[in-house]
Amino acid sequence: MVSAVEESTLGSRMMPFGSILGHDLRGLWSGWLVRLWLAGTVILTFLLTVGNWGQFRDGPLIASVLFPYLVFPWFFVVVVLGVQTVSGSQAEALADGILSRPIGRLEYLFATWLARVVLVLGVFLVVVVPFIVVIVLAKRPVPEDHVTVFGVLSALFVVALVLTFLVTLGFLAGIVLHRAMLAVVVLVFVWYPIGLILNTFSLEEFSPISLSRAITTQLRQSLHASGDAEPDQVAIQEAEDLSRQVDHFLSVFSGAKPAPKPGKPQFFEGRQFDDFSVFRVLLGYGLPSLIALGITAACFYRRDL
Amino acid sequence: MCFTIRGRAYRMEDMDLAIQTENLTKIYGRRLIAVNSMNWEVPKGAVFGLLGPNGAGKTTTLRLLLGLQRPTAGHAKVFGVLCGPSAVGVRSSVGYLPTNPKFPPHLRPIEYLGLLGRLSRLPREQREPRISTLLRAVGLLGATDQRIGTFSTGMCTRLGIAASLVADPPLLLWDEPTAGLDPKARRFTLDLVRKLGRTKTIVISTHILSDIDQVCDHVGVMHEGRMIFTGSMQDMKRRLASDDFILDFDGDTEAVERFADQLSGFDGVQVRVDAGGRLLLKLTDGHSRAGVLAEVLKQVEGNGLSLDTIHCGLNETENAYLQLLQEDEAHGFGR
Repeated sequence: MVSAVEESTLGSRMMPFGSILGHDLRGLWSGWLVRLWLAGTVILTFLLTVGNWGQFRDGPLIASVLFPYLVFPWFFVVVVLGVQTVSGSQAEALADGILSRPIGRLEYLFATWLARVVLVLGVFLVVVVPFIVVIVLAKRPVPEDHVTVFGVLSALFVVALVLTFLVTLGFLAGIVLHRAMLAVVVLVFVWYPIGLILNTFSLEEFSPISLSRAITTQLRQSLHASGDAEPDQVAIQEAEDLSRQVDHFLSVFSGAKPAPKPGKPQFFEGRQFDDFSVFRVLLGYGLPSLIALGITAACFYRRDL
Repeated sequence: MCFTIRGRAYRMEDMDLAIQTENLTKIYGRRLIAVNSMNWEVPKGAVFGLLGPNGAGKTTTLRLLLGLQRPTAGHAKVFGVLCGPSAVGVRSSVGYLPTNPKFPPHLRPIEYLGLLGRLSRLPREQREPRISTLLRAVGLLGATDQRIGTFSTGMCTRLGIAASLVADPPLLLWDEPTAGLDPKARRFTLDLVRKLGRTKTIVISTHILSDIDQVCDHVGVMHEGRMIFTGSMQDMKRRLASDDFILDFDGDTEAVERFADQLSGFDGVQVRVDAGGRLLLKLTDGHSRAGVLAEVLKQVEGNGLSLDTIHCGLNETENAYLQLLQEDEAHGFGR
C-alpha cells in the first residue's frame, strides 16, 4: 500500500512534468490546426462510413475508416503537429519562461512529446472508436463479418503506433532542423516515397499501404489463432523472417551482397501483404520511434538556449 | 573540510559562497569568445552589481549559471552545486529575471505564475496565496485578465520580477532589471532590491552605474568576457587614478589661472584649470591629503577668491569603472 506521504512525494516529483504536459496540451488544443483536424476527421470518417454503409462488410469498412490515418491525408497533419521547433523568439520564450525554472531539459522534452502523442491519439480514438462501435453493432444490409475484439484492438494499436512514430519523426525533425516549415517539407519528401525506401530494405510489410491492406485480415484475427498454423510454428516462422529482414537491412547499409532470399515477393504483388504480425509491427515502428526520441533528446540536451 | 549531502561531496568554503566560477569559458561556434576563463565569487548575502559594457559577457555568464548554455571549459557552482542543463537543484535555488523577458504570450499572468509555481513543486495551498501577493506587490493586479502578449515592456519586467520570486529562492539573478522602465517603475525596482537584499543574495547585471551605486555592496566589472575587477564598492571607488579634487570659484577665469600659477610651485600637488574655469588638483603620492588640501584652501582665502564648491573624485563610480576598462585595454598581452 502506498502511504499518503509517498503519494505526495511522487506527486510533487511529477508536478513539473505534469504541468508542462497540461500546459502544452492546452496550448495545442487552443490552436486552430487541431480543431480543424478534429472537424475534418469527423466529417471524413462520417462520409466514408455512410458512403460504404451498404457495400462493405465490417472488416473492409473499418479498414476504410482507418485508411486516412495510415496513408493520406492525416499523416501530414500529424507530422505538422509533431514538429516542435526551438529557435528564434520561441527559444527565447522557452529559455526565459520555462527552462530557467526548476525543470530538467529532458523532463520538458518528454512532456512536450507526450503532449503531442496524447493529443494525436486522443483525436484519433475519440473519432474512430464510436464509428467502429456503430459499424460493428448496427444491422446493415451486408453479409455478416467475423470481426473480433482482439482484431479491432490490435488494428487500433497498429494505427496508433504508426501515428506515434510520425509524431516522433516530426518532433525529431523540428528539433534538429530548427525551422518548422523545413522540417515539414523534409518529412513529406521522406514519407511519401516510404514504400520505395522500405522496399529497398525488404521491409515493405511495414509500409503504411501494406498495413492498410492487412488491417482487414487483422480485424478478423482472434487472440490465439493465426491461420491454421500452431503457435510455436508461427513464432519460429516470425523469428526467421525477422532475422532475414535484419540481415538484409544491415547488408544493404554496409554495401555487402545480401544473402539470396527464396522468392522475394514484388511490392504489392498479389496477396503477399494481406496480414501482419503485431509483434513485428511493434518492433518495426516502436524501435525507430525510441531511436528518434533518443536522438531528439541528445540534440536538445546539447543545445545552447 | 568536506561533507556530503545526498551522496554529493561539498567543501565547507564552498558553502559560504553563493556563486563560484573557475576558468569559466564560453566560445560560440569556435568564433566568438563570450566568456574568457572567468574566476568569480559572490559571497552569500551580497547584493552584487555585475557591471560591463554591452557584449562584455554578463548575460552569457548568467545563462551559464542557469544551465541554459553549456560551458566550453571550466565550471560554475551555485551554493556548491555544479551548474548544467540537468541541474534542477541549482535552478530551484535561483530566481532569474532576463533582460526584456519573453514569456508565453497566450497565457495570463496568473496562469503563467501558476505554471512556474507547479514547476517549483509548490503545493496549491502555498502557490495560490503567493501568486496573489506577488501580483499585488508588482502592481499587476489590474492586468490579471490580459494575455502576456499584450503587455508593455515595463509590465513584462514586473511580471518577470514576480516570476523570479514565485519559489522564494535564496539567490536572485536579475539581468538589467531597470532596462526600459519609467522613473517610477525604476524606483520601485531599486527599492525592492534594497528590501530583498536583507534576506537574499542578489546579482544585478547592468551597465547603469547609478543603479549599482544605489543598491549594491559588492561589484564586479566584466570586459570582453573577463572579470577584470571584483570587490566591495569602496574598493572600486578607491581605484581612481588619482585623488582628484575639483574647486569651483565664483569669479573670472583669469584670477583662477593666476592662482593656479601660484600653486604650481607647491610640493605635493599638480594643478591645472579646465575649460570651464574650474581648478583641478591632483595630489601626488607621499604627501598628507589633508595637509596639502588645507594649505591650498589657506591660499584660496589669502588670494581673496570666492570658493563655491569642492568635488571629490572618489565619489565617481563612473570614473572608476571607465578607468578599469581603459586599464584593461591598455594592458594588451599583459591581460
